[in-house]
Amino acid sequence: MADPSRLLIVDDNEDILATFYEFFNSMGYEVKTAVDGFAALKVLRERSNHFDCLITDLVMPNISGVGLISIVKKEYPQLKIVAMTGYGDQPGALASEAQADIVLFKPIDLFKIENTVSELINPDNDKQEN
Amino acid sequence: MSTPLIGVSKSILKIKELINHVADTCLNVLITGETGVGKEVVAQSLYTESNRSTKNFVKINCAALPETLLESELYGYEKGAFTGAHKKRMGKFKTADHGVLFLDEIGDMPMALQSKMLHVLQSGEFSPLGSDHDFKTDVWVIAATNHDLEESMHNKTFREDLFYRLNIIKINIPPLRERKEDIAPLIEYYFKLYKSEYPANHGTKPDSNIFAKLCDYPWPGNVRQLQNCIKKQMVLNSWTKVYDELPHEYLEDSPDIQTDEQPSETQPFSNHELANNPASMISQFVDLSTSSDKLFEDISLKKIKKMASDRIEKEVISFVLEKVGWNRSKAAKILKISYKTMLYKMTEFDIHPPVK
Repeated sequence: MADPSRLLIVDDNEDILATFYEFFNSMGYEVKTAVDGFAALKVLRERSNHFDCLITDLVMPNISGVGLISIVKKEYPQLKIVAMTGYGDQPGALASEAQADIVLFKPIDLFKIENTVSELINPDNDKQEN
Repeated sequence: MSTPLIGVSKSILKIKELINHVADTCLNVLITGETGVGKEVVAQSLYTESNRSTKNFVKINCAALPETLLESELYGYEKGAFTGAHKKRMGKFKTADHGVLFLDEIGDMPMALQSKMLHVLQSGEFSPLGSDHDFKTDVWVIAATNHDLEESMHNKTFREDLFYRLNIIKINIPPLRERKEDIAPLIEYYFKLYKSEYPANHGTKPDSNIFAKLCDYPWPGNVRQLQNCIKKQMVLNSWTKVYDELPHEYLEDSPDIQTDEQPSETQPFSNHELANNPASMISQFVDLSTSSDKLFEDISLKKIKKMASDRIEKEVISFVLEKVGWNRSKAAKILKISYKTMLYKMTEFDIHPPVK
């Protein structure tokens, strides 16, 4: 298999973060995590172009998910972004406006997220498989 | 010159780092924290470090103006838009174009204006009162509040959609009592600053005993109170006196203010003294030295009632403000009036913090 796909997962709930980490790790991804938008931005700016996909929560302290997405889309336009929200429509709508590739509403099935991520990162492969 | 953000605590260092990372993004910022913690200082720092620093930094206080006035201040108006609009006037949105618009006390913005604000933030367009045209605007909006906006949303006094649109980047400044390590550098900074303003003062920095006491003090009015306290020292030239004059009932209490507390032992008017001498009491409101004809012309119970109640209100408001270190929202809570009423009364009775 080629290099594993690299994910950055951001959520201010550490339990969710741990669950995501375990899951994606077991699915063969290389995973880094961050507890809020600011921490994530620092990781991204240190290792620009390292990641294939960003999975982020929206409502977080300091830099919100919406803020993170806006900054990332400007600085690293090639990075795919999955936004997740559990706070009704407002943040989700703002995330779409900030051009997240996809917005998912919690609770979300982990396998569904994995499917989405894999389609985003390797659209061609999926077409062949299907 | 704007005040720099001073502090060595973890939270202040993190805020400085955050400012450094986001100053160029021009994403909406919401700054929260108690009165006097330095919300405007943070807004100024964001502006100074951004690529908009050569343009305007325009500030507007959303709690200080009545709704209609706030609206025309923000968006401007055309000549003849309303009675008294003799000529066209530019609004803050226009003045702040390509620069920063700092919306202070955003939590006090009336609902109707919140929806208009939301529209401007969404579309980037606004139209002055009485105008048929929409104008494109490019302002960086930084808002600040000492309210808990999440709670205001639950109480339906703040729009949820506006909250999320402003809350793209959130900077919360903790109260001074939660970052005591900042007290020393703050004293250092303001001592130097005021020393240059009061060169005649030969005062020294606080000795270790007073210093320890100052660090232990809970500072309900936060940095602004500390700043005023140092300024006072320049005049009084005695740290002991300055420390003793700080309101001290909080020292034993938890940081939270007891809102049901009645200022019983120190009533501004001493009742029996007035009751013992009715003439002296009346003379405070009516000029008794004039002839009786003129006197009876002047006396109106309604007028006197208003004067007397104004006076006692002024005394009580000043008294409570003094006790809470000029923290207006806390004083409003104690007096069970709205924050807006508090600001209004302060203007009406001409009440100001001792040194500003």
